[in-house]
Amino acid sequence: MYTTTLICLPLFGALAVLLLPAPKKWVGSLALFFSLAELALWISGLTRFDFGSASIQFEQRHSWISDLGISYHVGLFSFSIWLVGLTAVVMTAAIAYALWSGRERANAYYALMLFLTAAIVCVFTAQDLILFYVAYEAMMIPLYVLIGVWGGAGRLRATFKFVAYTLAGSLLMFATIIIYGLSHGFDLTTATTSGNVWLFLGFAAAFTVKAPLFPLHGWLADAYRESPAEVSAVLSGVVSKVAVFGFLRIALTQFPHPTHDLRTLFLALSAIGLVYGSLLAFRAPDIRGVVAYSSLAQMSLIGLGVFSQNELALSGSVLQMVNHGLISAALFLLAGVIELRTSTGALKRLGGMARGRPILASLIVSIGVISLAVPGSNAFAGELMILAGAFQRGWGWAVPGLVGMVLAAMYMLRLISAVLHREVGEAVPKKAPDVRPAELGVIGALLLAMLALSVWPAAISKHSFACLDKTQAVSTNNSTPAQFGLACVPGQSSATTGRAQ
Amino acid sequence: MIAAAAWVCLLAPLAGVLAIALSGNGLSRRTAGYLATSSTAVSFAAAVVAFALTLGHSASDRQTTTTAFSWIETHALNVKLALLADPLSLVMMLVVSGVGTLIVAYSIGYMDGEDEERRYFAYIAFFVFSMLLLVEAANFLILLIGWGLVGLSSYLLIGFWQDRPSAIAAAKKAFVMNAIGDAAIVLSIFLLLQHTGTLDFAAVFGQAALLGSNTWVINIIAAGLLVGAIAKSAQIPLHTWLPDAMEGPTPVSALIHAATMVTAGVYLVVRTHPLFEQAPHVQQTVAGIGAVTLLATGAIALVQTDIKRVIAYSTMSQIGYMFLAAGIGAYSAAMFHLVTHAFFKALLFLAAGVVIHALGGEQDMHKMGGLRKKLPRTFIAMLIGTGALAGLPPLAGFFSKDAILATAFSGSAYDKVLFAAAIIGVLLTALYSFRMLFLVFSGEQSEPARRRLAKHKGSEGPRWMTWPVAVLTLLTAVGGWMVVAGLWHPFSSFLEGVAPAFASEPSAAREWLLSAVSLGVALSGVWIAWTIYSSRTQQAPKTPKALVEKLYFDRVYDRVFYFPAVSLAHRLAAWFERPVIERSGEEIGTGTLTGGRVAAAIQNGLARTYVLLVAVGVSAIVLLFLVFR
Repeated sequence: MYTTTLICLPLFGALAVLLLPAPKKWVGSLALFFSLAELALWISGLTRFDFGSASIQFEQRHSWISDLGISYHVGLFSFSIWLVGLTAVVMTAAIAYALWSGRERANAYYALMLFLTAAIVCVFTAQDLILFYVAYEAMMIPLYVLIGVWGGAGRLRATFKFVAYTLAGSLLMFATIIIYGLSHGFDLTTATTSGNVWLFLGFAAAFTVKAPLFPLHGWLADAYRESPAEVSAVLSGVVSKVAVFGFLRIALTQFPHPTHDLRTLFLALSAIGLVYGSLLAFRAPDIRGVVAYSSLAQMSLIGLGVFSQNELALSGSVLQMVNHGLISAALFLLAGVIELRTSTGALKRLGGMARGRPILASLIVSIGVISLAVPGSNAFAGELMILAGAFQRGWGWAVPGLVGMVLAAMYMLRLISAVLHREVGEAVPKKAPDVRPAELGVIGALLLAMLALSVWPAAISKHSFACLDKTQAVSTNNSTPAQFGLACVPGQSSATTGRAQ
Repeated sequence: MIAAAAWVCLLAPLAGVLAIALSGNGLSRRTAGYLATSSTAVSFAAAVVAFALTLGHSASDRQTTTTAFSWIETHALNVKLALLADPLSLVMMLVVSGVGTLIVAYSIGYMDGEDEERRYFAYIAFFVFSMLLLVEAANFLILLIGWGLVGLSSYLLIGFWQDRPSAIAAAKKAFVMNAIGDAAIVLSIFLLLQHTGTLDFAAVFGQAALLGSNTWVINIIAAGLLVGAIAKSAQIPLHTWLPDAMEGPTPVSALIHAATMVTAGVYLVVRTHPLFEQAPHVQQTVAGIGAVTLLATGAIALVQTDIKRVIAYSTMSQIGYMFLAAGIGAYSAAMFHLVTHAFFKALLFLAAGVVIHALGGEQDMHKMGGLRKKLPRTFIAMLIGTGALAGLPPLAGFFSKDAILATAFSGSAYDKVLFAAAIIGVLLTALYSFRMLFLVFSGEQSEPARRRLAKHKGSEGPRWMTWPVAVLTLLTAVGGWMVVAGLWHPFSSFLEGVAPAFASEPSAAREWLLSAVSLGVALSGVWIAWTIYSSRTQQAPKTPKALVEKLYFDRVYDRVFYFPAVSLAHRLAAWFERPVIERSGEEIGTGTLTGGRVAAAIQNGLARTYVLLVAVGVSAIVLLFLVFR
């Protein structure tokens, strides 16, 4: 019941926001209440979660289309509970931010945000492919509307691109699911693995678009620029993680051999994307451009970790997913804070905002240096684990990561200085106020989460994949193919270890 | 007890940071200064306690490790937040917290009236915390964290005056250069992890011989550590950030860019010496880089006109001596010079700070001169500091530099070459340091100096500035007596357990003989400086262009790395991202619109069109199933 409640609570909230005849000004607060309740529910689940167990927890299953073996089947693994938590945190922050900055047509807006929350949680918990697909699509629809209706001046173009890319991806995925499901079963916990490269690519293409990974990132810059700040935060913070989750839960686990055979391709795409994104972030002319391309670089880094496929890199990827979710959400919200005061994000017209605005400066500097993975930060821990794992896969894979570390310092410091330092930019009004308490509450909470994870990144890294026992961990250095995910998702291990050897 | 002291030592400055940061405007500027000073003072007291307690143990039992919790934990990797208090880290703790306290106290006077004093004190206390984390770390990862955080605080403090473009550029340059070094250390860490499965110092060093059997691996590990050390310690070729870092406030230059952070590279080499000893070629490179740096930067220091830049180049040169020592295996000599250098270099910077303060921010030595009468006490402090730097007895630098010279002289042919470089370095050091002293204090007051003195009252500063200078003067005068050749050597015997002398020990008689030689060289340097610079009326000799251009390093780096990277980024954007990736996105977007129009056209209400479409669709699906079944 727990997992279903987790999905239904925001759904119920969406209905309440849409239908209750609450006065306009209470609509946002009502939505915030529901997202906070979701957060509380997640925390209560976290305390009850048994991280020592490899099996699926809080599981629930109801037959849906019994002839085809399709069911409503949800549950949580130890790595997925962190992603659900990330969703709850970032969505709460986004709703709180929207509440503060005020959005027109509030009922529809908040209903969509809550609906989005429910859909994302459902994606992270779905154990049935059809349910996964339904939730995946349900997640896209509110995003199309949120960008297309509440976005900036170029929102239509951005939406078209976004729709075209993701729709192509998800249709491909739908076809793949049907073909795969009919022969292997739709239930992820019992489905047998497949060696079909084309089916694997069908899934992989959809997830590559969604993440995005190089070179399918054509929609990224526009969508991240034109969305409302908090929607960009959700897009890059949470929705991109759905793609990585898809890789982890479906591509790696159900397709051990294609993953193994095509590993080099995906590692190479990730490596290219990492350096490419970092370089573009270094020249991007506006705040959102820098954050968007740094997001491309970071997702590529996570891709590097996922496709390195050893325990170190995979645990690092889960940690880094949470880190990047918090960081990029906070960065986009900060972009919103700045744009609100200067009505521009163009770096040339900004500058000198640190003087007289100590809180804004502290937030930007601390989140900025965490995002460039300064040693000791949570992002550093994640990056280090990923690259150490990639290094074990092949030393060459760690090199783009190290180059990326230096480039990240270059583009982030450029961003920080362009906003905060030097002479005051032409677009910065003298009276532009410092960060308001409400804004501080939202972004500060995200920062606190980052700092907490910086002090103790092991909170996530040791609680991501309980299922790998020590003997397997040792042998991951010698990398039996695709060993990880298989061992980690029950019902798979027997089938695959046999095949893998 | 030692463990508790180590934690207090580490965490006290952090508590200071939090207190200052969280109280915001509720704190007066002065109180922020007091808070920072007292938190570092607590740290120093704890370091003293840990030191005293460790002395109570027998020489073989002077290592205390204390673990808080696992920072990163997976099955394959478990890195604990662990501290190590052994003689080597204790020496560093004492220097960092002790000199740190003096300099933070000095800042109360120096930064008085500065707009954002609170931010300054929070940053500098954060630096002390990071530096202590670096030196107390018990494994490579925690060391790297401290390493990165000192880089961060250095960035924040160099760029403290945020509206000066030059300061911001310098801060970014320092951070990026250090990020290159960090990346190199990360590479070494990956290799260590792969080949030893652990990052704990003791465990890794226990396997050093095993690592040494694989020449490639050990060489790359040592080289990675060396690159990190070079970047942090501003040795050639990764040195160009340090002169620019002088854009920061003077106490920052004293603490971070002279006394403590920049010497971290030396600490790293000494700490990881078991690895370097397995990679002899890399270790020789360490010494070679030290020798090249001490000569090149010593020469550049001769032509600098900015008083802080002279001291900055001299810092690089002196760290060159330390690298040289560490590279020939004279670890305790390297550490000894590190400690005395911390005293006299901090003194020189703080005294220079008094001068700059008295002149209202003037740093050009040609606009000074004749300040001896106006600033008599500062003159004495500066004289003692300069003497120590040049290696005149009985000041600190004399003993520590001669220990290095003697060890180099007793070594192999390669070491003899290094010795020659070091002795030429002695001449250069004496020349540039006394040039600075004479230009600032002797001769007639220059016109700008007179004007500025009149305008800024020209005092030697408030008591908060004078007493730290006095303490440092005392330390500089007597600090070298910790090791006197042939008499006693408590310092090196304390370090013996952690950093044993790898090199052959010179005899006391030879050491004294060499001391006499180097003293002669140094005195001739002083004499040359006196004849050229003591009076303002004399025409100064022409300066070679290559030295003024700092041997062209900056220009070459711009041409070879920075500009190409920027143009690559621009070209990628202009020739690939926009035309290929973004355009294709737009094409797809337009395509969808067209597709929509087509789809709309299909819905023409004619039943036969629908039937046709359904038929096509069904057959396509059937075909699909047949193919993929």
